[in-house]
Amino acid sequence: MIADMTESLISVIEGAGRFTRFSAAAVKGLFVERPGRRQMVPLVMEIGLRSVPVVLATGAFVGMVIAVQIFAQLHKMGSESAAGPIINISIVSELGPVLAAIILAGRVGGAMSAELGTMKVTEQLDALRTLGADPVSYLVSPRFLACFLLVPLLTIYSDAIGVLGGYLMSVRFLGISDYHYWHQTRQFIQRWDVFVGVGKAFYFGGVIGLICCYKGFMAEKGAEGVGRATTDAFVASFIAILAGNFFMALFFNNLYDYLYT
Amino acid sequence: MSDTGESKVCLPGDGPIISVEDVHKSFNGLHVLRGLNLKVMANQTMVVIGGSGCGKSVLLKHIIGILRPDSGRVIFDSTDISELKEDDLSRVRSRFGMVFQGAALFDSLSVLENVAFGLRRAGKHDEDQIREIVLDKLRLVGLRDVEDKMPSELSGGMRKRVGIARAIASDPEVILYDEPTTGLDPIMADVVNELMLRIQKTQCATSVVVTHDMKSAYKVADRIAMMKDGVIVESGTPEEIQSTENPTVSQFIRGEARDAVEQHS
Repeated sequence: MIADMTESLISVIEGAGRFTRFSAAAVKGLFVERPGRRQMVPLVMEIGLRSVPVVLATGAFVGMVIAVQIFAQLHKMGSESAAGPIINISIVSELGPVLAAIILAGRVGGAMSAELGTMKVTEQLDALRTLGADPVSYLVSPRFLACFLLVPLLTIYSDAIGVLGGYLMSVRFLGISDYHYWHQTRQFIQRWDVFVGVGKAFYFGGVIGLICCYKGFMAEKGAEGVGRATTDAFVASFIAILAGNFFMALFFNNLYDYLYT
Repeated sequence: MSDTGESKVCLPGDGPIISVEDVHKSFNGLHVLRGLNLKVMANQTMVVIGGSGCGKSVLLKHIIGILRPDSGRVIFDSTDISELKEDDLSRVRSRFGMVFQGAALFDSLSVLENVAFGLRRAGKHDEDQIREIVLDKLRLVGLRDVEDKMPSELSGGMRKRVGIARAIASDPEVILYDEPTTGLDPIMADVVNELMLRIQKTQCATSVVVTHDMKSAYKVADRIAMMKDGVIVESGTPEEIQSTENPTVSQFIRGEARDAVEQHS
């Protein structure tokens, strides 16, 4: 029993060490071998452009659902006019970035780990080495960069459409006053809230890129191995997003207190 | 097939260009290479035969430095590559070409981009020269008008030949072939055999071929080494191997089942 636990612990520590080394190599790769247009353009199309519809759909529904739920609670207390800031803060600093990241981890991260896993089991990673390319610099660094830069951008789209969805639901369908909705929102929402949301999105983008590429590189032989790598990539990204969101909320709150109080 | 290369007289080198010395390698407790020794003479074709899963591909990956031995040495042209750092190893690898079992073409790149990959990385040629070299190598392997196709549009034999074109694009000194005829129909397998012979004659490259296709082995080999249980159990010319009295080798080259079912169960 204790021996098993010790073995599991050692395995987790070894895995963490491998992931840290892999991540460091991916970041170093950005400076050693700057990703070129030939690598970046397809990634921007795949990760950025093709994710826009799903991100917009997610954002719109998140905004509308939050509006419905917040309205239901505030209506009981007769405080519907406070809905605007609560809905919009939830969207821009918490639920918008987290849900956009989870959707992107499924769509983009899953595709990346499956692609790299397939490259691993079909010896394409070995072929890269024989042709003088470092697979981490060549494949992972550009994907990490694309996720790191594009996930925040997609989060901004998601937030914008979420704010719009929340507004339409609250004002057009639930009957909250247009004036009170925006007046209260302007009073309570600060640029800091938007900054926190986008700041989190950079972290989410980075971890999605690194975790999903790492899991792809670690894929075992065969279709089953690639399938398992893809599932592991999503689960690990999901946990990293939720756990990271918690720690970043603490971090940003402390930073706010340090800077403004 | 067109013939774009001129044959040269390839004399065997004075000594081994590749020397694998007492190499051991284990994966997750499985001892695959168990003190393997092998010498490959320059400008010759060494064929390594052996049953599936005996570690032939692992041996090739040690020779090109993709894998490092747990113990032992891999000497290439007087340099112990098992001790080299990745940057130095990359320079050594530029003198090698490798043909993978499943071709290992990059799915997201066209045929031209696949074959041009190593040339572009080397940075010694402009794009016009690279295109010229790529088309020349594709003609050498008997392929025309495929440069803009994607790997998914090619048949197994064509993929294998594109893999060979990619491996020889930079005129390497050593070419490693991992099961080059596996999965091909007999005619296409012979096309690949002819191709290996032609490349040997036109480029005077040293070749190491891993296979369990005996017809292919006899056709292309200057020397044959038989691998079993992680070591070389016999080596010699094709004639010597054919007339061997070693029962293990004799059973393998004649493809006799005997007690193999019990051994593999």
